[in-house]
Amino acid sequence: MDIKEVAEIATAAGEILLRNGAEAYRVEETIKKICNSYGYEGECISNSTGIFISVITPDGHMVTSVKRINQRDVDLYRIERINSFSRDLINNPLSYEEAKKVLKDIYNAPNFSLGVRIFAASMTAFVYTLFFNGTVLDALVSAIISIGIYYVLDKLSKAGMFQFLLYYLSGLIIGAVSLGLQLLIPQINMDNVITGAIIVLLPGVAFTNGIKDILYGDYVSGSAKLSEAILIIVAMGVGIATALSLLLKWI
Amino acid sequence: MIIKIILAFFGSIFPAILFNIDRRKIFLAGLCGAIGWAIYQLLFYFTQSPIIASFFGAIAIGIYSESLARIIKTPAFGFLIPGIFPLVPGYKAYTALRHIVENNLSAALDKGILTLAVAGSIGFGIMFSTAIFKMIFSGKRVKRI
Repeated sequence: MDIKEVAEIATAAGEILLRNGAEAYRVEETIKKICNSYGYEGECISNSTGIFISVITPDGHMVTSVKRINQRDVDLYRIERINSFSRDLINNPLSYEEAKKVLKDIYNAPNFSLGVRIFAASMTAFVYTLFFNGTVLDALVSAIISIGIYYVLDKLSKAGMFQFLLYYLSGLIIGAVSLGLQLLIPQINMDNVITGAIIVLLPGVAFTNGIKDILYGDYVSGSAKLSEAILIIVAMGVGIATALSLLLKWI
Repeated sequence: MIIKIILAFFGSIFPAILFNIDRRKIFLAGLCGAIGWAIYQLLFYFTQSPIIASFFGAIAIGIYSESLARIIKTPAFGFLIPGIFPLVPGYKAYTALRHIVENNLSAALDKGILTLAVAGSIGFGIMFSTAIFKMIFSGKRVKRI
């Protein structure tokens, strides 16, 4: 296969990985594997906002490709598919068109539908409210709040809203709604409702992958992910604190 | 206590669905959370320290997901991420925040440091098991090439 085509395939695979929250070492290893399986040497640097790839022929020719990644999500299924794609390439190098088609398939792989995801989000809140010693009533309220939050977050993040503001607003809504409901229905314990509802928003993936990146020596990528996690936690905390301190004083 | 382990099982399954996990691995991901929480509870019972209990819970999750990753050839963090959800100190973090809002800063500092310590011990637990697996398996990989 042409060196430019190899660079294109490798870039596309790396982009899917990075966009869906893979660790830096996984992106670099996958790209090297893809280049090797077509008989070229690959060199790659990945941090959490972009990838730089050089494909090198045995006689020293070089094609370089840079890809900037703006949006990051978490999608375990796509990472797994790319992982097995790059493993299969070693034994069975696909032609350019075939590889392109497989990558497109992975890119357009099915997600769980919005309904299922909203159900999962509400059940997460329900389970964790019970888990932190809440009553069933608390859990129900928390589930209902997180249905709303998840729906709004899904729509707003597609509209491309600023991340800090997004999480600040979610925190604000969670705090205000739980406090309001506690005033309406005195049996509800606001603290339990809030702890259940914020679990869905916690950046567990950014946190663990940041730690793993640092462990593997990718300090740039790791500290970027950790600071993303801290930003989300702080934004959410400030949102809840705003709601509570304003409303508690006012009432 | 059995109820909490069952809740931890479901508490790992539902976040995993949010992260679009492969449908065949949903059960295994839930098992990861249940095992992690069972170890946490066992150690909490003996030591009464959430920090040590979280550390060993995270090690158990790390060992489970890294070994499963090698058995069925899939990235480890598909199990790691859902598995740590029950251990995440969400309640402690919220209590710290609540104390800040109530202007009770010394209590907030107390809870805040505990939260950081628990989060750090989860991180170190995962690091520990991943590093050991990497050490064992990287030696093999060099020979194979």
